[in-house]
Formats: sequence, structure tokens, C-alpha cells
Amino acid sequence: MSDQNIGKPVPRKEGRAKVTGAARYVDDLAVPGMLYGVTVRSHVARGRISEIIFGDRIPWDEFTVVTARDIPGANAVALILNDQPYLADRIVNHAEEPILLLAHEDKYLLEEARRAVRVEIEPLPAVFSIEDSLAKKEIVWGEDNVFKSFLVEKGNVDEVWDSPGLVVVEGVYATGAQEQLYIETNGVIATASREEGVVVQGSMQCPYYVHKALVKLFDLPEDKVRVIQTETGGGFGGKEEYPSMIAGHAALLAWKSGRPVKMIYDRAEDMTATTKRHPSRTRHRTAVTRAGQLLGMEIDFVIDGGAYATLSAVVLSRGTIHAAGPYNCPNVRIRSRAVATNAPPHGAFRGFGAPQSIFALERHLDKVAAAVGLAPEELRRRNFISRGETTATGQVIREEVDMGALLDRAFELSDYHAKRERFSRENVGNKIKRGIGFASFMHGAGFTGSGEKYLQSVVGCEATAEGRVRVLAASTEIGQGTNTIFAQIAADALGLDYERVEVVRPDTASVPNSGPTVASRTCMIVGKLVESAALQLKQTLAGAGLLQEPYTAEEFERACREYIEKNGALKSFSQYRQPEGVEWDDEHYRGDAYGAYAWAVYVAEVSVDTLTYEARVEDFVAVQEVGRVIHPVLAAGQIEGGVAQGVGWTLYESVVWAGGRMANGQMTNYIIPTSADIPPIRVHFFENPYAGGPAGAKGIGELPMDGPAPAILNAVEHATGVRFDSVPLTPEAIMEALEGEAVKA
Amino acid sequence: MNPFTYKRATDQSGAIREVAGNANAKFLAGGTNLIDLMKMNVQQPAELVDINRLALKRIEKTPTGLRIGALASNSEVATNALVRENFPVLSEALLAGASPQLRNMATVGGNLLQRTRCYYFMDTAFPCNKRVPGSGCPAIPGFNRIHAILGASDKCIAVHPSDMAVALAALDAVVNVEGAAGARQIPIIDFHRLPGDTPHVDTNLRADELIVSVDLPSSAFARRSRYLKIRDRAQYAFALVSVAAALDVQQGRIGAARLALGGVAHKPWRALEAEKILTGAQANAQTFKAAAEAVVKDAVPQKHNAFKIELARRAVVRLLSDVAGVMTGGAA
Repeated sequence: MSDQNIGKPVPRKEGRAKVTGAARYVDDLAVPGMLYGVTVRSHVARGRISEIIFGDRIPWDEFTVVTARDIPGANAVALILNDQPYLADRIVNHAEEPILLLAHEDKYLLEEARRAVRVEIEPLPAVFSIEDSLAKKEIVWGEDNVFKSFLVEKGNVDEVWDSPGLVVVEGVYATGAQEQLYIETNGVIATASREEGVVVQGSMQCPYYVHKALVKLFDLPEDKVRVIQTETGGGFGGKEEYPSMIAGHAALLAWKSGRPVKMIYDRAEDMTATTKRHPSRTRHRTAVTRAGQLLGMEIDFVIDGGAYATLSAVVLSRGTIHAAGPYNCPNVRIRSRAVATNAPPHGAFRGFGAPQSIFALERHLDKVAAAVGLAPEELRRRNFISRGETTATGQVIREEVDMGALLDRAFELSDYHAKRERFSRENVGNKIKRGIGFASFMHGAGFTGSGEKYLQSVVGCEATAEGRVRVLAASTEIGQGTNTIFAQIAADALGLDYERVEVVRPDTASVPNSGPTVASRTCMIVGKLVESAALQLKQTLAGAGLLQEPYTAEEFERACREYIEKNGALKSFSQYRQPEGVEWDDEHYRGDAYGAYAWAVYVAEVSVDTLTYEARVEDFVAVQEVGRVIHPVLAAGQIEGGVAQGVGWTLYESVVWAGGRMANGQMTNYIIPTSADIPPIRVHFFENPYAGGPAGAKGIGELPMDGPAPAILNAVEHATGVRFDSVPLTPEAIMEALEGEAVKA
Repeated sequence: MNPFTYKRATDQSGAIREVAGNANAKFLAGGTNLIDLMKMNVQQPAELVDINRLALKRIEKTPTGLRIGALASNSEVATNALVRENFPVLSEALLAGASPQLRNMATVGGNLLQRTRCYYFMDTAFPCNKRVPGSGCPAIPGFNRIHAILGASDKCIAVHPSDMAVALAALDAVVNVEGAAGARQIPIIDFHRLPGDTPHVDTNLRADELIVSVDLPSSAFARRSRYLKIRDRAQYAFALVSVAAALDVQQGRIGAARLALGGVAHKPWRALEAEKILTGAQANAQTFKAAAEAVVKDAVPQKHNAFKIELARRAVVRLLSDVAGVMTGGAA
């Protein structure tokens, strides 16, 4: 293996096409004879459909109309529990639930027709909050509104509370929904017929998820369904499960009409009807010695899954496992539940439950520190996990971990101690209050527990007679750099130039299933498979006596040509195998939850204007250990983007709910930060190569979403002296709290 | 977007005739508001008359001040040296609005005519008295954080989103218009309307009238004028509350004062009561606080925007203090 490409900022594979406008997104494509499709959706949160009325003045005979009765296979989006219908049949369970599909070649007439359909729905009582769902105010899902629950137990937390000399600290923390707001909205083009099968191309993260869903929806053999990813303008989890829905809808219209159908959501539909980050509520009860030793943590973590189960069980799983953080506490109990409400289903979003539970923990630990009279960093230092110690699930940390060193570096880069002291002094009498705070955390890479074992991902490598190498994987490029890092990894494994490697567009007809593009797994898990498939290619050539190390590109090319002339195609495939000694007990939620963790300490500096109550992040330092960095610019970009998204979640992005529907589904009133709102972000990587990752790399994509919210609110507390325990933190909330203080004073 | 016909006007009277002759025609200038509304099916004009080729872009000195052509772009006005020197509040307000790309396209006339609006107006899934008269106002019982605290009616609580128009209100601007029935001048304070029972009508401009220019009279207070905009993020957001203030201060005493607010009402809100308190008074914290109280005296909050009243108070005090160069001290 050479070291020519890894660690270097090689040009992005798809960068030129994107910046020159040559990249073709799904809405740039057209197919002859194509119709447009739209969705008629529920206007109430829960109810019984009594009648569908097709209004006057629309030539309905020109339209393709699809209802639940037109579905050839199962009317359920195949995912985990398969409880979500493609089209509501009699009952609707959330606002914006799809009821009926329309297609026509004239977009304008189609829009008029959509408005001319009136769906009469008798409303049923609905549930809109975690509290009401838990209290079973109305049973809206299953027997008890609970999609999934977990119990993680370590030691015996029940025995610690009465120990003498302990301090017990309690707190409740909440987080709100968040829209992914990828630049490109959801969209697909479908062709479908019984004879030819179903072909869907579109914007997505997980072609094989869509494939699986379409097979069930149309009751077709697997080889009669083909899914192709087009250039994708961002995902952030928002294109993990939802594309299965829109792909199914377009394909149903194509199936019935016999014509290709394009379906593209506009921004308002994409914002109100598709998934968002799960809102959460976490209760903490912590036992700590006066010396700052954590003795017991009892954590109750609840997320709002919306109306259908979708991915809530696995979002809950990740949130549960991360709830106790990178600390060594002997007694831990984490109880968690994902509950149903009549909101549109919440779904995957960068971090996948971990940002919610980490927010709670890292706010809570500042409270615990104050309760025992320690500085926030001192409390954490006394409890940081290190090699040989165990996480909440009992996973023994086998890698070298030095959270203290990350903390030192982050404090040094941010000038934490001096600023902490100076701001405290200067804030007295200043209208603008400044503060600095931090959070320390970890994020597991890859699927949780046995997930990777069940996925059994496969990656292929193919060499052409010209000595070019093609990586075959279903992992998608969605702006994060998949194609670039796969090419770097394969090129170095083979000792070739980066330009010699091409990453094939994901198409289920031609690439193996390397699993979904989620869970910070693309680099670490799939990248490792790319590396071993590439190495196998080399071994095949060596085994055939055609190649000997060291070799030149010309020698490689000759070897490929001779091999192909003699044996035909030169391909190798590598399948995931769980590393030795990794054990996971799904029933008791114990064991090795993740193959590896990334570790981090983030520091935020804020200002709070006591005249306008505006809180701003003025400076940000992100220090993390992510194994080997494959591409320094893309890696830093992942961190910066995640921090920006975290700043948005914390201070700006407020989903306003009215009767279970997002009331601010427009970019003018759902406020995301602009570049002018984002502080300088200083990114620093510690590189501690991980044996299970390609060239030592670990996962990185989700990590930066975890730290900003608690770091920022810890800083706001330092600035204002007031505790805020929920996000988003709006100026109104700050005003209410500060004015409340003033009234008391 | 609905299909429509497009005509490019080559002369002013022809453009006016074209629009006067078709009840469903509209002038098209920068298109930064109208095209959005058409894309979202909020407005569906059958015909657009493109006036961008008309000679209405000039910014020129007049004996009494400055005349700004209706097609001058927001960027051109904001960076114009005469504007910056004599009417700084206008430059600041323009630069606080939209984004550089939008300011390059948006015109002075178009900015004045952008719709008074809220998110229910923009979302055709909801009824809206402004979009469909008589259909109802979902903002009043609904989520109404950005809405009006002054001058609202039980038919509409939307606010005018312009920053520029707030500055113009503080500068005693006059809007020059021409229509089928001839030319006339409309003082800025009379240009926009309160909603009353007819919230679908935003301005007192007649359908066939074209804005040709805006006159700014020179004054001492105009030269000492500033704009403060408070919003949900640093750029690219409408004002929650904005204030335009112009003061003529001589030896600590206020000679003349103009004060207008944005984000609080269906039109740029000129605070005449507050101006009376300011005029002739000492430029100090006490005066400014009294002026701020006068601004919000009749304010009525909606369910989700009571914060705006306090915000307006504070913004007025802060800006007046800044313009006068007076330190008011204290946390608020």
C-alpha cells in the first residue's frame, strides 16, 4: 500500500461537474412521453376519510389517478415495522399524509387538479406531544403509543442513591424538531410496467432501501426492480428513508399510466411533508461524590417518532447508547422510548438520536459540576473514560483514548481559561454579555450493535484492460465526498494515481449492496471494504503471476490486460466480516455497540445582547480524534458543516407546529443561519489510526452535530448566569428568562 | 406558475396604456417579489408588461434634494454617494435588506410595491383575506410571531416587509406616479395603507399607475439619520422590528425629528406622537424613553409577538441614542 493520496486534498471527483453546472440532477432530466406527478395530502392530523370529491372544471379523464386500491403489492413502505402506508386507506394519522396521486403532462393543469380534489375527513382526537403520548391521552399507535423501548443497565444504580456523602442532581432537557433542508428537494423519475418491471432514478442516499421497498410495493422479483441514484444535492439523513415513499408514488403513477412519471417536491411540500429530526425530552438523575466522582446515572430518554414507526427504533437506539457519554460511571440505567404522535414521521438526521441525548448530558454535567463546586472541565476530567474502562453498555474501550488531551488542546486553541475569567469580570455592567462553554462527547461509527453483521455489505473493484480501476458500491455521493475518498483509498491500496480510479454511479443493476449511506459508516466500514477489494485485485494479479511489487502503472496496466485476455473480467468483491472479539447482545443491549468511536471536545464562545436578546456564536473550536484523516479539506468541511447545522438547531431553527402541521414551512420563516451567522470554526484533528478502518480512518459525518448545542448553551449560561435547558433557544425565551430574573432581583 | 403573456414596453405611456387596458396585467421591474408570488401561485397575472427598458434609472440632484428613478436598483441607491452623504438612513436600510443578488435586481418602485405579507399569505393551502378577500385570516388564531402590533385589523395582521420604505417614511419622501389619468404626487406617509376591511389593497396607487420616481427633500435631520434592524439572523431576514431615525440636534437640543418603524404594521409606521415629544426636547435618555413609550402606547400584541413591543421600545431608545451620540447607560 502506498501513501500517495490518503491525507492529501485531491480534487473532488464530481467537483468540476458541480461548479461548472454540468452535473445533472433529477429535475434536469426528461424522458420522452413523461408525465408529472403530484400528491394529494391530508389536511388533518388524524381522522377517517369519508369521501373524495373531484371538483368541477377539470378534465379528469385526462388524468391518471392512483389510490390505495391501485397498489399491486403491499401498501406499506418496507423499512423496519412496515406500518406506514404508501397511500392512506380510510384512516389518516398525520397532516400531509399522502392519500391520492395524480399525473398529467401539463404541470399547470396538474396543480389546478390537485387543488380541485377535496378529501372529506372526519377528525379523530390526535396527540401532539411526548407528554400526551406517554400519558396515553389517546392511543394513536399500537396498544400504548410506544414504537420501541430500550433498557441499558450497568452496575446497580438503585443502590447508590442512599450512600452517605453523595450529592444528587436532577434535570430535564428538551430538543426540538429540525428540518434537514438539503439544497435539492426530493425528486425521482419512474418507469414501470408488469413486463419491464420498475426503474426509478432520483435523489437519494440509499438505493437498496428504495429497491427493497419497490419490490414489496409491486410484488416483483428483485431483478425486476432497478434503482439509480442521480446527482444528489444533499441528504443529511433526509434522503435515507423518504425516497422510498416518493419513488413508490412516482412508480405507481407510471405503472397505472404506462408512461414515465417525474415527481419533484417544491420546497414547501418537502419541508412540511417529509421527515425531520426527532424532538426529545431527557430526564437525568445523577449521584456524584463531593470529590466529583460520578457514581450513578439514571437517564430517561424519550423521542417523538411521529405517526409511524419508520426509523424511530434505530434513532432511539443510537440516542440511548450515547446518552451516558464518554464517561466511566460504575452504575448506569438508561431507559428510553420512542413514542407516537400525530406529526408526520420524524426520521433520520445527521447524528441520529445522539445529538439529542448528548445535549441533555452535557448540559446536565455543567449543573452537576456546579452542585459539587467544581469547574465544568474538572468534573469531566475526573470521569473521562480511558482504555480498559467500560461504556454504559459494558463495552470495553480497547483503543487509546485521551479525552484530557483533546480538552487541553481545545482550551488552548480557544483561550478558554483566560476568556472564562475575563468575560465573568467584564460582563458586570456591559449590555453585551459574553460567555464561553464546551462539551465533550463521542460518536460511534457504523451501524449499532449487530447491524453491520446483518447488513453483510459488499463492495466490488473492477480493473479494465486499460488498467483503470472502477469501484462498485451502492454508497452514494451526496456532497460529503464518497467518490473522492473511495478513489483515494483504492488508489493507495493499488499504488496507482488517483485519476486511474473511478467510482461507479450507484445503480442496483450494476453495483453490489454496500449498505445505506448513513451512520458515519461510508468511510470506515465501506471504505475498508473498498480497500480490501482493491487489495484482492492486486492479489489476483499476483496470484496469476502477472504482477510483482513494486510495479509501475504501465506494469499494472499490462497485467490487467493480460489477465482479462486470458480470464475475462477482472473483478474482486469484499464482504463485511465482524472483527474478532466484537460481541453484542441485542436482547439486553450490552456489549460492543460500535466498532469504533470518534472522540471530541468543542468550545463555543457566545455573546448575548441584553437589549435585543440576540445570542450569537462568536467563535468556535472543534477538536476531535477521528482516526486517520483521509481528505483534510473534506474532513474539515464535514466538521464545519456539522457545526453550522448544530448552531442552527441551537439558536435559529424553530419548527412551529399548528395542529400537527409545520406552520413555517418556508425558508423565509424557518430560519437557518446564513454564513454571516456562523462564527469562525477552527477545526483540529488528532489522528490515532484505527485498525478496523481504511488506512486507519474512522467515521466522521455525524460527530460534529453532537457538540454545538450543549457547548453553546453552556456558554450562554456563563454569559447570562441563567440556565437554559432546551433548544432551540430563541430571543423570546432569553427575554422571558432574563426579564424574569430582573423582576425577581 | 400559471402561463402568462409577456410584453416589453419601450415607452412609458405605452406601458401605462397596456396595463390600463387589461385588468389582469402587471408591471414587471426587478421581479424579485412578483415572480416569487407567481411561482407560489399567490398571484396569477395574465400579462406582464416589462418596464425595465424605460429610462427611469437616474439618480439626480434637484433644487430641493434628490430624485431617484423608479428603476434604480436597490444596490445603486445604497451605494450612491449623494444618498450616503445626505440620506444615510436610506443606504443603511437598503443594505440591511435582502441579499446582494436581490438588491442588484430589485428596484425602488418594486420595493415600494412589494406585497405586505405573512407566511399564510404565501401558503395557498391556507385562506387569507389579503389573497382571497373574505376567506378569513388564519394568522389571527394561528402562529403570529412576525405579525403586526400596530394598526392591525380583524381582517389582517400582516406587516410590510420593506426596509427601504421605512427609511423613506423618515425622510418625508414623495412618490411621483403617472397613470392613464395623468401624473400626481403621493407623500410616502399616504402611499401604503392600513388593512382595515380591505387588506387585499396594499397601497393607494391605482392599478394603471406607474411609479416613475421618488423625491427626497434635503434637510439637516436627513443628514443625521440611521437605521437599526433587528431580525432572526444576521442577513437575509425580514425585520422583527426596525427603526429609522433622523434628528437635528443643536447644543444638546433636538430641533427636528423623524421616527419610523418597520416590522410592526401593515405599512411603514411613522411615529408622529414620538416625534412631537422629541422635537424641542433635550437629547437624553429620558426623552428617548418617553418617545419609545409613545411609539408603543397603542400597541396590541398578538398571541406570539408580545416581545415585539418591548423590542420596539428598546430599539427606539438604542437608535435615538446612537443618532444623537448620547450614552444612555444601563442594561436597557
